[in-house]
Amino acid sequence: MLELLGVATQAGDFRLEEIRLQVAAGCCHAVLGPSGSGKSLLLRTVLGVQAPTAGRVRLEGRDLAALPVERRGLGYVPQHLALFPHLTLRQNVEFGLRAQGRVRRGDQEYLDSLVEATGIGPLLDRRPDTLSGGERQRAALVRALAPRPRAILLDEPFAALDTSLRRELGLLLLELRRREGLTVLLVTHDLDEAYLLSDQVSVLVAGVQAQSGEKAAVFQRPASLAVARFLGLRNHVEARVLKLTPEGFAVDCPALGGRLLLGPGQGSAGAPAPAPGDALWLGIRPEWVALRDEAHPARPDERLLEGPAQIAELGSDLLVRVRDAASGLRLDVVVPRRQARRFGLPEHPERVRLGVDPRLLYWMPAEKDPRESVGTTEIHENKASC
Amino acid sequence: MSGHRATVPAALAVLALYGSLLASLAWVVEPAMLGALLGSGRVWFSLRLSLYAATVATALALLLAVPAAYALSRHRFRGRQLVEAMLEFPLIVSPAALGAILLIFFSQPLGLWLQEHVTRVVFTATGVVLAQFVTILGVAVRMLKVAFDQVPVELETVARSLGAEPRHVFRTVTLPLARRGLVAAGVLAWAKALGEFGATLMVAGTMALRTETLPIAIHLRLASADVEGTVALILLLVGLGLGALALARLLLREPDHA
Repeated sequence: MLELLGVATQAGDFRLEEIRLQVAAGCCHAVLGPSGSGKSLLLRTVLGVQAPTAGRVRLEGRDLAALPVERRGLGYVPQHLALFPHLTLRQNVEFGLRAQGRVRRGDQEYLDSLVEATGIGPLLDRRPDTLSGGERQRAALVRALAPRPRAILLDEPFAALDTSLRRELGLLLLELRRREGLTVLLVTHDLDEAYLLSDQVSVLVAGVQAQSGEKAAVFQRPASLAVARFLGLRNHVEARVLKLTPEGFAVDCPALGGRLLLGPGQGSAGAPAPAPGDALWLGIRPEWVALRDEAHPARPDERLLEGPAQIAELGSDLLVRVRDAASGLRLDVVVPRRQARRFGLPEHPERVRLGVDPRLLYWMPAEKDPRESVGTTEIHENKASC
Repeated sequence: MSGHRATVPAALAVLALYGSLLASLAWVVEPAMLGALLGSGRVWFSLRLSLYAATVATALALLLAVPAAYALSRHRFRGRQLVEAMLEFPLIVSPAALGAILLIFFSQPLGLWLQEHVTRVVFTATGVVLAQFVTILGVAVRMLKVAFDQVPVELETVARSLGAEPRHVFRTVTLPLARRGLVAAGVLAWAKALGEFGATLMVAGTMALRTETLPIAIHLRLASADVEGTVALILLLVGLGLGALALARLLLREPDHA
């Protein structure tokens, strides 16, 4: 298990606040965040290149503070891969075993199995500058895994690749992870990559761990507006808590027709229960807003919005942006193109009706500063499983 | 575009300036005289001393410059900026002044003690080596730092993450990747040492068959109005220097990629 216990550091004027997370053996934790949020700095601190100003890093119960980079037992794949340009691919992938003076039979067989699994065998006598991006990526992975690190750190591993190659290599890494039981700490700004590869995620905003937890929970119930916006969620509306009820609490949301009942599970895990009078943000994921018309009427508990729409094509889906004529609220909806056609879209965007199910809303405290969301961080122990 | 092309004559003017200076030697030199001079024992002594001193001074400079340049390239430490500024010292102080400073140092108690108990410096071949060493050290460090700066730190970080000790990383990653810069720095430092005059004159003097390097020999020949002999030695020095610089350019050339 890789544990970060309140790790903080500083680089110039940028401060990385106390980071707490645990990556159980054989699991993957993705640290997500926009550019400049401190993801790479965090990884370099774990690796031992950057000195922490506070906190500890533990690997399998052992404090790494006194250990230099070469003795930490951590594999590392940086964003630009850093294959050694003066060495062949074979010399690159064997570098770790030779540096440690141990090309034993088992190690060589393990390396051979990695080479076979990644398909780089025919490339071993070539130099990195003659390889494609995907081939270099595979080689960098094999090189990092060959000395059998106890955990591996990946810094935006597929950032330089096109979408299809990124997905292909993501699946390869997933397979390797499962087959070899790899413990992975991944930093990325790519939401799809994080969701594909990880079990747990943390979101960094301006050097602060804004949210952490099981990936589906974080993606579906962001803890703050800053996290939601980073996750690409734009459908948010202000509300105020009216009173607590046995089932949860009632809020007043004028843009969604007034009083709504929300359950405790609709907030992020670990979020403090709101009190009457508290301001909240309510949000709904664009794929959970339903198109409605006479043939597809709203369910009794749905809130209806109606107005003109702007349409954008997203491959096989349509992004339908509707401005409610009554409240002025703007909602984005993502619907499959075939389903949209049943509602006359994209040909007739003049008047589009939407149904919002209050049970699918998530809520967040109405803080303004992303650094205020630190208190909502949820730490999972995950000692038995991911 | 035409504005850019207008700079070409300036480049050609540089060639014309140095080319015409070199060509002017042809008016003076006589092949028979050139052959006779190159056969003289005194000239061979100057050539041998110049090659020996430049080579030893360059080797000593690299021995100190390689770790110093690596430290300046990779580490932040107290006094780093002062060290960087000091690298310019031999450039901003004239070689004659640098030699005078050396001479003054060796006339002070510490310098006298060193001369008494370690080695004689003033008016000796050792003084020639020392004068050249002091002149080229700053340049060597500066060039080597550039060479190390061009090796991405990330490569070293990855190598260490693979279990390689820093010394192993330096030997197997940093040095091979900085090799061309290292060799080029060595060659250029050697060429600069070979042509060094001012500091050598101050520290080692102009003693025939003792401290008479090629530049000193040129000075002595000209002082005695031996123009043909001066030109012959100049051509010898120019040939050696240009050969070294051509080697440096060859080593600095980017490899062709298929």
